[in-house]
Amino acid sequence: MFKSMLIKEFLLVIRDKHALAALFVMPAVFILIMSLALKDVFNEQKAMLSLAIVDQDSSETSQEFISSIQGNKLINSKLLNVDDHKGVDQQNVQFLILILEGYEQEENKQLQIQVASDVSQTVLLLFKAQMMQIIMQQKLASLHSLQQSRAQQMGFDIPDAVDINENDIMNIQYAKLSADEKPTSTQQSVPSWIVFGLFFVIIPMSTIFISERKQNTLMRLSTMNITIPALFAGKIIPYMIINQLQVWLMIAVGMYIVPLFGADALTIGGSVTALIVISFALSLAAIGLSILIATVVDSVEQATTIGGILNVLLGAIGGVMVPKFVMPEFMQEFANISPMSWGLEGFLDLFLRKGNLSDVLNEVLALTLFGLVLLFIAAIIFNIKIRKVS
Amino acid sequence: MIKIDKLCKSYGEKKALDNLCLDIKANSIFGLLGPNGAGKTTLISILNGLTTFDSGQIQIFDKPLSKYIKDIRQRCSLIPQSLAFYDNLSVKENLDFFAGIQKIATATAKKNIGYAIEINRLDSMLKQKAATLSGGQKRRLNIAIGLLNNPDILFFDEPTVGIDPESRNEILDTIRSFKQDNKCVIYTSHYMPEIEKICDQVAIINAGQIIKQGDICSMLEREMGNQLIIELYETPIAVLQECCELFSLLTVINSSCLQLASKKPEYISQALSLLENNNVKIKQVNYANTNLESIFINLTSKGR
Repeated sequence: MFKSMLIKEFLLVIRDKHALAALFVMPAVFILIMSLALKDVFNEQKAMLSLAIVDQDSSETSQEFISSIQGNKLINSKLLNVDDHKGVDQQNVQFLILILEGYEQEENKQLQIQVASDVSQTVLLLFKAQMMQIIMQQKLASLHSLQQSRAQQMGFDIPDAVDINENDIMNIQYAKLSADEKPTSTQQSVPSWIVFGLFFVIIPMSTIFISERKQNTLMRLSTMNITIPALFAGKIIPYMIINQLQVWLMIAVGMYIVPLFGADALTIGGSVTALIVISFALSLAAIGLSILIATVVDSVEQATTIGGILNVLLGAIGGVMVPKFVMPEFMQEFANISPMSWGLEGFLDLFLRKGNLSDVLNEVLALTLFGLVLLFIAAIIFNIKIRKVS
Repeated sequence: MIKIDKLCKSYGEKKALDNLCLDIKANSIFGLLGPNGAGKTTLISILNGLTTFDSGQIQIFDKPLSKYIKDIRQRCSLIPQSLAFYDNLSVKENLDFFAGIQKIATATAKKNIGYAIEINRLDSMLKQKAATLSGGQKRRLNIAIGLLNNPDILFFDEPTVGIDPESRNEILDTIRSFKQDNKCVIYTSHYMPEIEKICDQVAIINAGQIIKQGDICSMLEREMGNQLIIELYETPIAVLQECCELFSLLTVINSSCLQLASKKPEYISQALSLLENNNVKIKQVNYANTNLESIFINLTSKGR
């Protein structure tokens, strides 16, 4: 019996181009795009600030300041002519630094800085920190050279200033990763889009289920002694297999396709068994939600609209669209109501934190319980509806 | 084969079936007639175990339905009015699926699929997607699926809705052939000529009760046997109504037609004399030509 149901569901999904696009193409494309778009987020060598400089002072101090900026790997800079009066927006940079005449001579002469209107607070803070670092080093160097010349006048030597390198004073290591490992955009984006993609079974599943209900195929199956649990099992098993195909296809995209476009390849750091277990649990949650929607709504149009909206909402709340770590604290708490968040946390434990089964057990239990409760509610509603139709 | 005794079913305050009694014999094609909302669908749903009932007894194959529903279902099949199959599967894939989900041995399933294909003439379209079939072919596939468990009882719910006359006749021939294969068919339809054509037994259901049941031929004969139509030359209605008041077996149909509710010679003679005495000119006298439809309308319109 299940073999027949399995073959039937596979044939119906394979022949539905929209379903194939939603289940396999869309998440794979998302993984590719997001991995490439975010590939520099974890790249410390990548310039993150862009600025233009107008040097009206043309002094030794201003030249030193400019060369320090030009030597900073986090900053892309360009030097403008003094008669260039275009503002920061026209220069197509984030910041415009104007070094006024008298910068070297007058102690309280401020740098004039224009900030582009689309610069975030985080970028502004980073800019300030970099400027402070450059100016402080300049001031320290000047103080040191003053002390050196005074010491020479007094007939003794003091040692040269030591260059301060961040690697000499800080050892940065990501939790649960080895010393030379860093999280990559691929490790971050693949779990998100696996979770999102799995929930897209809502569309083909509810479409087929509603058609079966509308055409009285389900009623016919009831007269053939097919019980509601058997009927639901006949849906759950094929879609769990389809979900597994999705998971491994998306992992393959992350491992083999994404690197072809210059982004980092995905690696499965954690336990593969745990990965299979959590993807089955997530699958059960997605299928439970799909069957509930399919039993509650009355048309395919309603199912695709409600299913689509719900998917995007759960994704947005659950940290798929915007990572949870950039959300404010109350939103991070709120994100926990979304089953996508539970699934995502589980996948991140495995992909990012090299976790094992015990690390994802809470997520597995929560997702399984969520799926079972929804299936139970769906069975009750379905039973009432099929009796009404009869 | 099917015995129903004092069957009651209510939806809230509304009685769908009210002490309904029915006896359907084996190897017959049984027509179930009734206006919309009469209780036909409720009865078919109950007999297929899709709806529960409040009280009464149902025995199918001499077994109580409530207790042996699974066994009984294995020997019955419901062919719904809607096309209950998968448009995106081919004819063969549909047949394989519906055979596969029933607990039928592989060899038997193969044989049953062959029978369903042959009797519904689906051989030439096995690889065709169901969505691309014509209306008549879709109806035949719908019936073929119902034959996959080789049922002893087939329930047909308006199986010829929305198809052309040629396809309808083909389907009716197929259904008629089930009798030769010793199957019992319970057939509901609004098309009275269909019922007259294929059914040998009929029950008319109204307001949840059987108001007439029996053999179609004798039912028609009985209705026809008691009536004569007297065709007249155009006569004022008032004159005809006066005649009818004088002789209660006469009924006015229109200004050139009267109905006499008897064929006894003495009543015919009395009626004709009365008409002659009232200067009503008679054209001819014929037996009334009744049909199932007029019986149905006559019976179901009473009490409205």
